[in-house]
Amino acid sequence: MKKKLLAMLLSTAMVASVLAGCGSAAEEAAPAATTEKTEEAAPAAEEAKEETKAEEAEAEAATVENIADAAAVAEGTAQFDGLTANEAYDFSIVVKSFQSTYWQAAITGMEMAAAELGVTYTAQGPNSESDIADQINMLNSAINGAPAGVGLAACDTSSVQESLSAAKAANLPIVAFDTGIDNDPDGAIVCTVATDNTAAGEVAATNMYEAIKDQLGNGTVRVGEVNQDATALNIQQRGLGFINKFIELATADGYKVAVTGNEFYVNACSDKGDEASADVIIEVAVPAQTTVDLCATAAGSIMSKEDTIAIFGSNQTAAEGVLSADGNLSVLGDKVVGVGFDAGTIIKDAVSSGKMLGAVTQSPLMMGYYTIYALTAAANGQTLADCPTDGYWYDASNMTDDLIAPNLYD
Amino acid sequence: MTKKKQSIFTSQKFIVLLVVIGLMIVFSLISKDFRKYTTLLSMLDYSYYDVLMAIGVAFPLITGGVDLSIGTGMVCYALAGGYLIRFHSWPVGAAILVSILFGCAIGLLNGVLIAIMDLPPFLATLCTCMITRGLGSICSGSFGIPWPIANADNGWFHSIFKITLASGTKIPLGFLWMVLLALLMAFVLGHTKFGRYVIAIGSNKEATILSGINVKFYHVMAYVVCGLFAGLASISYANAIPTVQPGTGAGMELDAIGGAIVGGVSATGGYGTIIGTLLGTYVICLLKTGLPYIGLQANWQQIITGLVLIGAVLIDILKKERIKK
Repeated sequence: MKKKLLAMLLSTAMVASVLAGCGSAAEEAAPAATTEKTEEAAPAAEEAKEETKAEEAEAEAATVENIADAAAVAEGTAQFDGLTANEAYDFSIVVKSFQSTYWQAAITGMEMAAAELGVTYTAQGPNSESDIADQINMLNSAINGAPAGVGLAACDTSSVQESLSAAKAANLPIVAFDTGIDNDPDGAIVCTVATDNTAAGEVAATNMYEAIKDQLGNGTVRVGEVNQDATALNIQQRGLGFINKFIELATADGYKVAVTGNEFYVNACSDKGDEASADVIIEVAVPAQTTVDLCATAAGSIMSKEDTIAIFGSNQTAAEGVLSADGNLSVLGDKVVGVGFDAGTIIKDAVSSGKMLGAVTQSPLMMGYYTIYALTAAANGQTLADCPTDGYWYDASNMTDDLIAPNLYD
Repeated sequence: MTKKKQSIFTSQKFIVLLVVIGLMIVFSLISKDFRKYTTLLSMLDYSYYDVLMAIGVAFPLITGGVDLSIGTGMVCYALAGGYLIRFHSWPVGAAILVSILFGCAIGLLNGVLIAIMDLPPFLATLCTCMITRGLGSICSGSFGIPWPIANADNGWFHSIFKITLASGTKIPLGFLWMVLLALLMAFVLGHTKFGRYVIAIGSNKEATILSGINVKFYHVMAYVVCGLFAGLASISYANAIPTVQPGTGAGMELDAIGGAIVGGVSATGGYGTIIGTLLGTYVICLLKTGLPYIGLQANWQQIITGLVLIGAVLIDILKKERIKK
């Protein structure tokens, strides 16, 4: 027994010593990094908030195009003017995962709003965006804990229906953020705080189309789209927004478009066309799991085709998959026009170096910020309208713009 | 039938090699894009971590155990190393060393839990799988961490796996290391005391204890070797994946374990070869890469991989029955 104990202690000590190496480093740096981020973010958020309201934004719009409808944004945020919390509410937040820096930015926004309003919240999320069942469990336990309200970014919008009904029965307001939920028969969702994902997909299509339209009409060409899944509403909307806008633009110029690949997107798009007679084939790939390596294989299978002239990765994972596949193919920025989504060091570098034409960024920070405001207003008993948040097309020319730079997280 | 002929037909290595060649031919015939050199390069990039994990996990499998912590462990070690480089400007070489040692440490913990504390391998490594998943997030402060890219100042580690010649041709150097490592570990398994005792533990643990061998030590070491290879895998993972994301990695161990079993490592312990494991892992990698190229939706890949595994286990059972006769 002594031996067992000794052995156990020794191995624990060894693991602990390795951890101490990176752990202590993490402790030193983590608070510093967070403060830095918050400090940076606070004025940025204020700025962005003022910008959306102020008329100067109109002038900026000439070079930086906000995909959100300005009037809708103004209306969505105006309802929170002068908001104070009637009580020190405690909210539960369920995010899709903490898998990417995107969610970290959303949490930073929540912290800012919670500090301003004097409310508290607890955020939790599954290990990855594919862990749908884990998220449902978290959501159910959050509802059972009877907080003042729940903020939800659903991994799978169709799996949360029962939980939503339970929340409605308990008279618990739910604010959907990041991802809207289209099927909410009981009306449990009091407000949706999200990017207009359809418009985000459309702006990606518009910019890509501009870059490649001269190549159309000389034989069949292929445009790829990599979506990390076919279950989350925001990815579905982006994917379909892109496809439908592309079809609209190409058809207006007299080209025939066909959509192939993943069944969901093929069947849900406005017109799947006929592959044999098409001038442009939009090929949609969805990997079996939401991992970068599988996204990269899916992207690679499209990018290595001779007739491929452009590809769109509809979120950070899918866009990194496209870039990862290009590591060997070296076709981006040359033979193939790449368009991405969200930010992160790798995608930012690719856009600034011209390897990628550009990408669409959302405002995770403002999304988190207004989620807490919406929850507080709902807990006060206010009736809410949806609150669309900003989203921008960015490329090498406007990355440092005041409206865009704060949203380009590492 | 002559004895020689029988040994060829019963050799799973040979069958798996035929499967690898067969798959390459089928995919190449159906898809002209699969035939491209760049496709081969891509497949190899994403195969190294599977191969390294598979070589490592072959040792616990042969002892009759398993290690489920290698997938999340690999991501955790890559996050820890990447964090040191990115936020503390550690030299890449030192960070690589930390990642590998971290792997060995978790391997040692697994070994102690299983060989000395007598926990069932499935349970013990399931627990360390969860622990490493959490540790990865803590080590990285829950941030996704990119390792330096290939053309950055400290991106030299990419050239361990792939070098670009002056002419622009890319050479997948990593494959050479995989083959050399597989040969080395095949030698360790087949021709050293450690290897023979690992096999002995898997075939009859009681008899091995009775013959006076320090079973606990060698049993622990099998898991340390597995941890070491998971540590090595973390470097090739950081090479292939642009941003290492915390919370990922679960499920990746199954590709490696599947590869080892397809390659003839007995699912119940006592038998297995490292060359077979290498080949078996390439069957899995070829399916992962090739099926999207021939236009099959990715879900089919999982179904087909499952069917291949059933086939491999059936061969294992038939082989055992033949030996009994």
